[in-house]
Amino acid sequence: MIWNEILKTEENRKKYADFVSRADKDIHSFLEFDAEKIAPPENTEGCLAGLPFGVKDNIAVKDFKLTCASKILENFVSPYNATAIEKLEKAGCVPVGKTNMDEFGMGSSTDCSAFGGTNNPWNKECVTGGSSGGSAAAVAAGLVPFALGSDTGGSVRQPAAFCGVYGLKPTYGSVSRFGLVAYASSLDVIGVVSRDLDLAEKVFEVIRGEDEKDQTSIPYPEKKAEPVNGKLSFTYLEGDLGLTPEIEKGYRACIQAIRDRGFEIKGVQIPSLEYVIPVYYTIATAEASANLARFNGVRYGYRSKNGETPLELMQKSRNEGFGDEVKLRILLGTYVLRSGFQDQYYGKAQKIRTKIINEFKDIFSYSDIFVVPAFPSQAFRHGNAGLTQYQQKVADKFTVTANLTGLPALSLPVGVDNGLPVGVQFFADYCSENLLFDAARQLADVFPVATPPGFVPAEKIIG
Amino acid sequence: MIETFIGLEIHIQLLTKTKIFCNCKNEFSHIPNTNVCPVCMGYPGVLPRLNEEAVRKAYIVCRALNCHLNEKAVFERKNYFYPDLPKNYQISQFALPFGVNGLVEIDGVPKIRIHEAHLEEDAGKLVHEGMTSYCDFNRTGTPLLEIVTEPDFKKPEDAELFLQNFRKMVRYLRVCDGNMEEGSMRCDVNVSVNFEGKGLGRKVEIKNLNSFRHVRLALQHEIQRQSKMLTAGETIVQETRLWNDEKKRTESMRSKEDANDYRYFPEPDLPPYYPAPEFLAAIEKEQTELPWIRKRRFINEYKLADDGAEFLTEERERADFFEAALNAGVSVQSASSWMRGEIAKGLNKNKMSLKDSHLTVEKFVTLIKLLDEGKINSQGAKKAMEILICEDKDTADVIRENNLMQMADSGELEAVVDKVIAGNDKVVQQIKGGDQKPIGFLIGQIMKASGGKADPKKARELLLNKIS
Repeated sequence: MIWNEILKTEENRKKYADFVSRADKDIHSFLEFDAEKIAPPENTEGCLAGLPFGVKDNIAVKDFKLTCASKILENFVSPYNATAIEKLEKAGCVPVGKTNMDEFGMGSSTDCSAFGGTNNPWNKECVTGGSSGGSAAAVAAGLVPFALGSDTGGSVRQPAAFCGVYGLKPTYGSVSRFGLVAYASSLDVIGVVSRDLDLAEKVFEVIRGEDEKDQTSIPYPEKKAEPVNGKLSFTYLEGDLGLTPEIEKGYRACIQAIRDRGFEIKGVQIPSLEYVIPVYYTIATAEASANLARFNGVRYGYRSKNGETPLELMQKSRNEGFGDEVKLRILLGTYVLRSGFQDQYYGKAQKIRTKIINEFKDIFSYSDIFVVPAFPSQAFRHGNAGLTQYQQKVADKFTVTANLTGLPALSLPVGVDNGLPVGVQFFADYCSENLLFDAARQLADVFPVATPPGFVPAEKIIG
Repeated sequence: MIETFIGLEIHIQLLTKTKIFCNCKNEFSHIPNTNVCPVCMGYPGVLPRLNEEAVRKAYIVCRALNCHLNEKAVFERKNYFYPDLPKNYQISQFALPFGVNGLVEIDGVPKIRIHEAHLEEDAGKLVHEGMTSYCDFNRTGTPLLEIVTEPDFKKPEDAELFLQNFRKMVRYLRVCDGNMEEGSMRCDVNVSVNFEGKGLGRKVEIKNLNSFRHVRLALQHEIQRQSKMLTAGETIVQETRLWNDEKKRTESMRSKEDANDYRYFPEPDLPPYYPAPEFLAAIEKEQTELPWIRKRRFINEYKLADDGAEFLTEERERADFFEAALNAGVSVQSASSWMRGEIAKGLNKNKMSLKDSHLTVEKFVTLIKLLDEGKINSQGAKKAMEILICEDKDTADVIRENNLMQMADSGELEAVVDKVIAGNDKVVQQIKGGDQKPIGFLIGQIMKASGGKADPKKARELLLNKIS
């Protein structure tokens, strides 16, 4: 692999930095990319040694900014490393920059970044998806071999689908959340975006595992998961799913390809799917309303100059520091948790969540992979020509399910239509990521990863 | 008749090496913001890690209060904005705390039911200087156990007595230093009054009580205020009031309508806590006889008077010392009079507690044996005790180095007595003439001449023999 040569010499590093700055000008996938901060790897042994990678700007990398694409953290520099970063650095990978996102992970376009949106490398008029849009775009454009994102309701998988790359949302708790700025703690997980399926799996193998700094992290089983019937078997979500023609076509092609490969695949219905959006937004915003309470301008971050009293200082800092979508979600979360209404909202949402978990338990009792679209449409256009915030939320129904259940899911490209990628996703049982990768590998030659216009392969960067 | 209902909410800071959710030292520091880290400062991306020592100490208290221990305990977020609360939520327990439904029976106080005991994190401090407010986060994340009683107290004096015993208890259990002035033990009270038989009245909470005395005074004042209103047919407002110690009255702080909606929900960063059977077995081993039970036993078993038993059970170390001395053969009378007398005096003088002094049970027992055997006299023993308290030395060495052995040889004593008689002829004549008063003076002279080593009893015998 040529990527591990790229940081070896001063000369290569310079060429690489120049390339990224040039190529990212009209994509804007990085919020921070500083050639000065790129150092040769500490560890030069091992299959990941020397690889540069991008990090979503809500994951702490020591001495890099940690803005979460929010004005309230505009100048905040992280004093510590996330556990996932520590593990990757130990494996010899080098974080080269922080990628753009929807503010605090709240959005499906990356247009909700306080520092301007990211353009889809396939079509600059279109969004990259979100919230890990910067990571997906940087990978799709060939600026890094892989990038870390975070997935609370589809934030790794949906942008990966929009940009035509692989996006893994691991089992909840399998990757330490220490150093990931919390949006919704019971749903958040750090994920991986890459054009290379094997590399994505290797990166996952490095970052997973129990962490004493995160008490919700779990020990990952040493033994690989086996297919329930000895050979991979599939199910897919059937019925009228409200997909655009391009997605419908890609989804059908994927199901057909699985059949053509000689695997069993049968259609299933998920009765509780119609509730997942209200359930997701109840739980996610409730947790977010508390998680984002710490940003008050007192200890760090943006501080309003207009506060006369400590309380006013906090109010004004938050009012001036947060964007509209973040405020909307904080308000929603505060509303659903208010006294006397917890049972009606938060409590009920948790009950439905348990029901969804049980429905999937049933599916994985007889099959290994559940196939479902990543998003009902391809990448939409920026601004008013695209989807409204409400439409974007409703469209999250295929992705949020993996977060509500904690199941691992992988989104994979299944072709390009009208100049934009089409993606689907696979779900598997807990800690069965290897089956997701195995299943995706079965389709890798049918649906090879395509390159967007103007793509520069790694060997050309330093060549 | 008016009935009074008083309940207490007691917060104790647990004595742990580190804070409840991070590795910062859990100790007081005069320099602001020194015992802090990204976790207790609520930096973006950090997560809490529950301190097992804090959990253990919390359970020790729950058990001592005879609480039912929930099989599953859940941490929750209590949401409110305040600059000294880094995350703007406090990790606490709500629906499923560690302990519920406890009961405490202290002599002289009605049976008090414990509603719950829950573990939480302490907040920081705001310091105001002129027009500027500063935040000090050293205290942030100190493990705090909150104990809530049912409104079972009828009198302010009972609440005060309960608190005194409660403080002794947490010290006996070695979970909290119980220092109210420094805030390591804090107490809020709630009180309501109603006509007898009508049940609870409208509850008023009182805060800012920095001592047991304040608790009693505030309750007395508040009961009077509420009773007057009740009899006059006025409506008592459910509210939170502050004790103003200068004006010796309570003042309204906020009404129920202004109260925070804390929007509790389960803390997603911490899994529920299930106390394991082995863990609970270990908690049992750390239980100790509680101070009020020990006091009762001291009265019954050692026939001590109330005040003596009270004194000896004041501290666990003191009671342990006393009983260890008895076990080593020292009499109840001797051990208790020494402990209340010379030992207490010496410790006071050096501003020490038994624990920080150099005195050990072994040293004390040796000293008492020497005294009983007549090898030293009580004056010498007292002098030795002073040294034993503040110097790290054996009893034998102290006596030798300071030449405190009593004159064992009667010839030696006789010589001293003769010398004193010879030098005080006038006084001797006086005694011979029938005046007994100067005998004491001569004994004093003998003690002085012997360097304190004479046995005063023997000296007296010898003196009287020689004069008469």
